[in-house]
Amino acid sequence: MLKNSMLRLHRNFIIAACVALISFIFLYAYMGTPKPLIKWKWMDIVGEGGTSAMSGLWLLIMLSSRPKGLVTRLFAFGLASIMLGSWADCLDEFFAIPKEDIWDNLLESMLVFAGMLIVTAGMYYWREEQFTLNEHLQKRERLFRDHRAFDRVTQLSNADYLRLQIKLELDSHPGKPCALVLLDIDQFHLINRQYGQHEGDKVLQAVSHMLLLNLHNQDVLCRYAGDRFAVVLHDRSLEEAESLALHLCHMVRQMRYCAQEQTLEISMRHACTLADDVPDTLLARLSKTLEASAHQFTEPSLATGVL
Amino acid sequence: MRFHQVADTCLPAQYHAAQILAYTRSREVDDAFILRGCALDAGSITQGQCRISPQQYLLLLGNALQALRSADSSFMLGQQMLPGHFGSVSHALLQTQNLRQALDILCLHSTRLCPLLKPRYSVGQDFSILYWMDSYGAPSLRPAIVEMHMTAVVAMCRWLSGRRLPWRFCFNRSTARHTEQHEVHLGGELRFNCHLDAMLIATEYLDLPWPRGNALAAEVALQQAQQDAQAADETPGLLDAVYDYLLTNIRCTPNLEQLAAAFAVSPASMKRYLARHGTHFQAELDQVRTHVALYLFQSRQYDNEAVAQHLGFHDANNFRRSFKRWTGVTPSLLKEKLADDFPDLNLYAMS
Repeated sequence: MLKNSMLRLHRNFIIAACVALISFIFLYAYMGTPKPLIKWKWMDIVGEGGTSAMSGLWLLIMLSSRPKGLVTRLFAFGLASIMLGSWADCLDEFFAIPKEDIWDNLLESMLVFAGMLIVTAGMYYWREEQFTLNEHLQKRERLFRDHRAFDRVTQLSNADYLRLQIKLELDSHPGKPCALVLLDIDQFHLINRQYGQHEGDKVLQAVSHMLLLNLHNQDVLCRYAGDRFAVVLHDRSLEEAESLALHLCHMVRQMRYCAQEQTLEISMRHACTLADDVPDTLLARLSKTLEASAHQFTEPSLATGVL
Repeated sequence: MRFHQVADTCLPAQYHAAQILAYTRSREVDDAFILRGCALDAGSITQGQCRISPQQYLLLLGNALQALRSADSSFMLGQQMLPGHFGSVSHALLQTQNLRQALDILCLHSTRLCPLLKPRYSVGQDFSILYWMDSYGAPSLRPAIVEMHMTAVVAMCRWLSGRRLPWRFCFNRSTARHTEQHEVHLGGELRFNCHLDAMLIATEYLDLPWPRGNALAAEVALQQAQQDAQAADETPGLLDAVYDYLLTNIRCTPNLEQLAAAFAVSPASMKRYLARHGTHFQAELDQVRTHVALYLFQSRQYDNEAVAQHLGFHDANNFRRSFKRWTGVTPSLLKEKLADDFPDLNLYAMS
């Protein structure tokens, strides 16, 4: 669905490219004379036509995944030029163009080259864009990227990624301590009941932003499941992790979240440990610590204030 | 005995189907994707103009899970399922005074509250067990449905009782891939590879008063719910009715002919009906016998000999072999596994 809407953004461009493709056929048919079937060079037709088709496909793939913007524009024009250039090259096999007509030569070789130049420029800006995005994503992912491991509500990575991250941390820095913190929102289920799941999602987003703001660049925040977050703290002792966790809970509590004309005070519970075991048992153990305290008492109702 | 089948249109569409649709809409999934192959339109579901069959409900749920492609979908769907907006039954649940009453209502009105899985519960001296039985035979969706229903009960009890109840969970499946979802939405006490989908809780929690409880309001709402059930001509699902029949008659070595006679259909029809639910008579009988054997082992401390006699086997050896065929393990191994899974749980004290 998202992909379709992206393609829809570039509708005019795609139509223009199609029109150009068709007009090339008419141009060649009008200016040249058809070659007899015997003179067709099948290898050239397949090679040049295939190049054209592939660059058209790349164009569509690129457009379907990118919003409008400078990089997109450069890629689009570049790929479209390459496609049209090879298309001209391919049509050349069906129609004989008099040798003195230089436009044909120009279309064939210059379009492809110009397209490659534009794509190169696009690549340059794409690299810059990627650096900016990396900075933005730094606390959400580290060491490796896996787009399938992102949670759709908070844009944080999920528990699978967390397990891999812990494992990588343990394998690559065997000597260094690595701390793990789990944070759980108190009474989150009441927010869902009273304000609806949509508001609950927004609370999760707000909390994840607040947590991200208060983390170092080398720390990684993940959404474990539901209202539970996990932070992997690289090269940090248990005491440091504990104090950071307290700080995070404090910052979240300071936040004034507005839900339908009321402010909600959001508090969190936390549990810390050093990562010294396989991720699965480690996380299960930490989850139990987090829950152990919660069973004993009647839960308080939501702390709300008037806006 | 009266019953309905998987393809009978007996569930009000504005109940569970509407819940699914509301959730997928909030996740920006196109209605058309969810309704694919269901022969339903979104308007009639949300406006409550039609009834749907359990088959359509299952299809809808399957489509939704497929479209959402997220490990937490079944849990999120469960979170909002109970008490629900199912008229008088939901009101009754909202006013319940304690867990015991809530479970009673849930089991009595399961056709309206949770049509896909039938909850049954038995109270023991120390521990009580709530176990879930598949009402329409949907093996591929079963893990998700179980997660959904267990979350529904856990979330409802947490909300109404104002505390987290210390449930323990058994799953009739191999270890899940996303156990973190189970941990957060259900709790940390999870056991996989069990022979039942069950939730256990210390019996003392059954009668702890719940803050919102209102005896009078609950009573009135329950009476209304009974009348509604009669007016809507509610019948149990075939598999649930068969389970109940077999459970009551388990000592008389029931067979297909007797079952069919009790349900006032021909044996051939009964065979066909069961096949439509993806099962057959022997499988249902074996399942009931397994459950009875487990119950007798645990609550009555029967040995193999006594259980064999109870179930009408010639001797203990014969029974042991059959039990291994039903469950894959011998009775003694199963007892060991239970003791391993729940070391502090005195299942033998169940009444």
